[in-house]
Amino acid sequence: MVGNTNILGELKGIVGDEHATSDKHIMYAYSYDMCFVPNKLPQYVAQPANVEEIVEIMKLCNKTKTPVIPVGANTNIGGLCIPKKDNTLLIDLRRLNKIIRIDEETRYAIIEPGVSHAQFAEELYKRGLRFGWPVGPPSGTVTGCAISHGISGMSGRYGLNSQMITSMEVVRPTGDVCRVGSCAIKEDSWHSFLPLPRMDGIFTGWFGTTGIVTKLAVYTPAVPPYVDVVTCSTEEIRDMYKYMLEFGRYEMADDLTAVNWWLSQVPIPYPYKEKPADQHKWNSYAVLYGYTEKELEAKVDAFHTVIKHQQELGSTVQVTEYPEEAKRGRTELPSQIVGSTKNYCKEAGGGISWPGTFTPANKWEEVYNKWEKIYKARNLSPATRITMYRGIHYGMLRAMTPINKQSPEETENAKMAIVEALGAILDAGGIPYKPPVDFNVEINKRADKGYLKLMCDIKDMIDPNGIMNPGQLLIR
Amino acid sequence: MEWDFRNIDDEGELNLKKFFWKCTACGTCRSGYTYGPPPTFRVICPQGNKFGYQGYYGSKGKAALARWMTGCSYLKDEKFEYTPEFLHTLYSCTECGGCQNQCMIDFKPHIIDTIEAMRAKAVQDGKGPLKEHHVLVMSMKNNDNPYTGPRAIRAKWMKKIDNDSKLKDINKESAPVLYYAGCTPAYNAPVRDLALSTVRVFDKIGLNYGALGKNEVCCGSTVLRIGERDQFERVASKNLEQFKMLHDERGVDTIVTSCAGCYRAFVEDYPHSDAYKECMDGIKVMHTSELLYEKFKNGEWEPTKEVKMKVTYHDPCHLGRHLKDWIIDWDGSKQWKGSYLDCIDRGVFEAPRELIKAIPGIEFEEMKRSRNNSFCCGSGGGIKTAFPDWAAENASLRVEEAIDTGAEMIISCCPFCHANLNDGAKVIKSECKTMDLIELLDQAL
Ligand SMILES: Cc1cc2nc3c(=O)[nH]c(=O)nc-3n(C[C@H](O)[C@H](O)[C@H](O)COP(=O)(O)OP(=O)(O)OC[C@H]3O[C@@H](n4cnc5c(N)ncnc54)[C@H](O)[C@@H]3O)c2cc1C
Ligand code: SF4
Ligand code: SF4
Repeated sequence: MVGNTNILGELKGIVGDEHATSDKHIMYAYSYDMCFVPNKLPQYVAQPANVEEIVEIMKLCNKTKTPVIPVGANTNIGGLCIPKKDNTLLIDLRRLNKIIRIDEETRYAIIEPGVSHAQFAEELYKRGLRFGWPVGPPSGTVTGCAISHGISGMSGRYGLNSQMITSMEVVRPTGDVCRVGSCAIKEDSWHSFLPLPRMDGIFTGWFGTTGIVTKLAVYTPAVPPYVDVVTCSTEEIRDMYKYMLEFGRYEMADDLTAVNWWLSQVPIPYPYKEKPADQHKWNSYAVLYGYTEKELEAKVDAFHTVIKHQQELGSTVQVTEYPEEAKRGRTELPSQIVGSTKNYCKEAGGGISWPGTFTPANKWEEVYNKWEKIYKARNLSPATRITMYRGIHYGMLRAMTPINKQSPEETENAKMAIVEALGAILDAGGIPYKPPVDFNVEINKRADKGYLKLMCDIKDMIDPNGIMNPGQLLIR
Repeated sequence: MEWDFRNIDDEGELNLKKFFWKCTACGTCRSGYTYGPPPTFRVICPQGNKFGYQGYYGSKGKAALARWMTGCSYLKDEKFEYTPEFLHTLYSCTECGGCQNQCMIDFKPHIIDTIEAMRAKAVQDGKGPLKEHHVLVMSMKNNDNPYTGPRAIRAKWMKKIDNDSKLKDINKESAPVLYYAGCTPAYNAPVRDLALSTVRVFDKIGLNYGALGKNEVCCGSTVLRIGERDQFERVASKNLEQFKMLHDERGVDTIVTSCAGCYRAFVEDYPHSDAYKECMDGIKVMHTSELLYEKFKNGEWEPTKEVKMKVTYHDPCHLGRHLKDWIIDWDGSKQWKGSYLDCIDRGVFEAPRELIKAIPGIEFEEMKRSRNNSFCCGSGGGIKTAFPDWAAENASLRVEEAIDTGAEMIISCCPFCHANLNDGAKVIKSECKTMDLIELLDQAL
């Protein structure tokens, strides 16, 4: 056992003896995720059962100045739930796992923070509804993903998962409970943040440093009966970007993504391997849905029109065949296979990380070319993905980087590639998502002073004792 | 006889360490999930469901324990120590393999081996198993069974066999089939009738078979599961030698057992002996349900009497998802050294179901969790001995799932599941009972 027995005793008093611990081997199991951030043991883990217990815990932590980190399933790839400070308490939210209500008629659902994508997918599907499933583990929580600006198979059309949130309930660091969105005005009405002031911004993109979301409402669109996946390839990123830009203009695809040869290998070659000359360098898929057959046909037609137009302009773009199984993997998320990282890091072992960024689309080529050099120099595959988000002009640019976790030296090599790649992207106006602390150092170096001051002021106001994941954002 | 079980701290290129470091901590093993359509989500890990913390949950937790136990290269200041809490986590896993079925990476084939190797290390270091297990281990040492019953009464159940039974004393007479009854009929009172039903059914279908009676020795499964390798190797070696003798001198070519635990031990664990091939040459191991189904398919018998009952079937882990041939690229000629390529399912899933459905009057309904994604009853891995209350509580969750199907009876093919599910029904004061498949077939013949 580690830590202060008084705090542990008080935690047990709140949640019950079985739901708070300081046992070292349990602390170890919470001390890492799959990325390069080094292990650090928390001091305590508590698993509250309800909002009242969370309120009591937050009050205790304020009194004792104990650092706190909320944890969903800890599947983020940025060390977000790894303590930065000694004496940290992790609040594991797994026991708050109820789907409170699915409003089939107006299509939104209210859930507790422990609800996983797998659990949510089953219940929504029964009702002909869907949500933005990440290409991540089915055990990841809907809340952990959405409030961290998670990306899904619907981001091309509907935006990020945070853009699908309609209301929330939050326990503030001081233990006060607040509601944000329409539920703040009428208790059982969780349909929208608008037209109220967008206070959800205080709790999204802050990675649990401003409060614990205890209820989340999200928009759940209907499952369209018609679906197709259209695919094409190019030899250069420039041609791929041009095609995606033109097709993206129609805002028709739920997901408009391209991956290079290294990322499309199962798994990513580790260490670096040359691409065979007879294989395409870039492959793209676009997931198209239709509520009527005609709607889908029109979308597929638009795709072919764009391809033809690009070819007339001299592009290397070509339509390609897409295997049925791969199609399933794109449309029937969340998937056990992709979620378990089979495709990514089997060969290296134990870990992945990435410079994962939101970047203006016209900078993809410039940055990618730099990345290719950085990764090759470190004998790593530049396994890159580009995805357009709603708005077309920007999207994800990310290099999935396998890590051999058993070897600190190889982990360091991968981390250095990522950090170097990050410098290139920040200089081009890209911004890393779900960033580990090392990335925040680089972000904050470049940040506008007024922006940082505003963040500090908000953080000081909402978390006066600085107890929530201190050291994560590096603003205090 | 030499045994080649793997150790948690083995050195070498493709040791367990290499594989438990392959776990990515993705957490996919936390729940049972199929992406359909329709997608399904199920609680799959009894241990995580009960105890909740990471470390307890799934194979992600077991990889963490293994790393912690063998020294994490990232935490140089931290030293592993056996604590009662660590042993609690290590020994409260049912070894059901529910997590293993979810994992997709190179660690997958090695998950159960990793858990058992940690337990073996704990035993080797004088720290394991739990004190609640000591009685089981002592009984194995002194009586060759885990139930504290004297050796002398092992064959007592046979006294109740009908006089006109065709069961032979294989110690004296030849027969192609050895019925390996296991320890249950002699020592596990709540499920004692299983062996008598088996004998009745075998007689009714005219099987030429024999049993060892008091010369039978425990298969060793229960002690192996808690890390007591020496005890396992002792009884398993005796069994292998005895099986060879029965093949050479009594013409035995098939060993049939009604116990999922014995079955798993014979087909998954005994091959770790260097004498396995020699001793088992010409001998096939079958679960009762497989043997009966084979003969049923060949038209050698069929259930004739109507049994009016609505039933569901519980897949025992040891008869189902534990039985896999892992396809691993050991030499790296296909992908890379040690990569998990695929697995061939040898789980006995269909035979029991087909036999149940063949009974006139039976109404069969599948539970939500079945086959490879079945939910463990909570009895295995030494749990029933060390945590009897929790084992029953966990079983009650399974009984509730059975009740949801509208079934009045759960059918199973494992005496451990059978007894534990009945204990689970008592916890929730349910009328829903469990019986063995063989008892049901006995009624139908
Ligand atoms: C192989 C792989 C692929 C992935 N692909 C994707 C992808 O395509 N898109 C994507 O978005 N993500 C992806 N992820 C990341 C991750 O799996 C998901 O975002 C996941 O849903 C996060 O949920 P979680 O419960 O694991 O969150 P956690 O990791 O537990 O938490 C994430 C952050 O949210 C905070 N947090 C969690 N719950 C709360 C709460 N209730 N209140 C306040 N703060 C909270 C935590 O403190 C932390 O900062 C991937 C991960 C893996 C391993
Ligand atoms: S073997 Fe079963 S009880 Fe043990 S961790 Fe895996 S799923 Fe849980
Ligand atoms: S054991 Fe497999 S499924 Fe579980 S966390 Fe590790 S890699 Fe993922």
